[in-house]
Amino acid sequence: MKTVNPENEANAVDVRFIRVPSIAERKLGPDHAGPMRLDPRMLDNMQQTIRGLEGKYGETLLRQIDGLFRLLDDIAAGSQSACDRLYDIAHDMRGLAGTFGHPMISRFANSLCTYIEGTVSSERLDGTILRFHIEAMQDTLSGRENNDIIALETLRALERLIKTTIRERRIAG
Amino acid sequence: MTSAVFKSLSVLVADDSAYMRQLLTGLLHALGVGTIHVATDGDAALKAFETHEPELVITDAAMKPVDGFTFAEKLRLIDRGTLATVPIIMISGHTDLASIERARDIGISEFLSKPVSPRSLYQRLIAAIDRPRQFIETPTFRGPDRRRSARPFTGPERRAPVTLI
Repeated sequence: MKTVNPENEANAVDVRFIRVPSIAERKLGPDHAGPMRLDPRMLDNMQQTIRGLEGKYGETLLRQIDGLFRLLDDIAAGSQSACDRLYDIAHDMRGLAGTFGHPMISRFANSLCTYIEGTVSSERLDGTILRFHIEAMQDTLSGRENNDIIALETLRALERLIKTTIRERRIAG
Repeated sequence: MTSAVFKSLSVLVADDSAYMRQLLTGLLHALGVGTIHVATDGDAALKAFETHEPELVITDAAMKPVDGFTFAEKLRLIDRGTLATVPIIMISGHTDLASIERARDIGISEFLSKPVSPRSLYQRLIAAIDRPRQFIETPTFRGPDRRRSARPFTGPERRAPVTLI
């Protein structure tokens, strides 16, 4: 089927609309019964999968936090590759920690990533800010900071510190 | 009905994080997905796509060395049967507007922000499998219609020639 609007034929842009048959329709035929819905049993299976991985992930987090601490000296010495590695680990934590029951660690990691993303080069990264973030993650994971209100306050303080540092750096050129 | 569809479904998972791959394949297994292929970056994912021709793709956005955006752009250049309209679910830790708009402009079918929850992944899968949007092809864009709802329009018709296939 083709419809043409003569008023716009001069400025015509070739546009095609393609009907995409659903995968469900392809597999079950056009008469398949009703729309697909969330099946609570399958959701429960998925939740169990996550619970099964949570314990192992806690150990991984410990190793990753240790790894972040070890990178600090190299970053202080101006190593761009150490900075990239730190960002990769923090980015991984930002994406995974929340899924495995560590939402505050995910938020600290997000703040750390945001700080690195907003800083032009590794030489301009403030080692103290990096260290504060990693210590906050360590405290949260070890349960030393198991109060959500305190963790949130720590996060807000870090975010304020980042803003102030970036502003001061801009003023200083 | 749902389980029958998942059982015969083939999915390609592309993520450079081993943990994320384990999580996603675990969740897909829990749904009963029959065939799962994995790749560790965009280039490997493109090769796996060409080899296995999966029916659905789940890709991370920020992979190294080749990211999910580049991979998805290449997928949308493929013009062969059902592969041309394969649903792509992009998972990203970046939820800023620029990243979401970039994904949309590349022709991503569904966008999922991290952290991934079982419900959000399940919902995106059902949307991609059972409620695909029609595709739009222009000289500069190929992907799902960006409009998710059909709202009536009463203004003047300004659209140029359209071919409906």
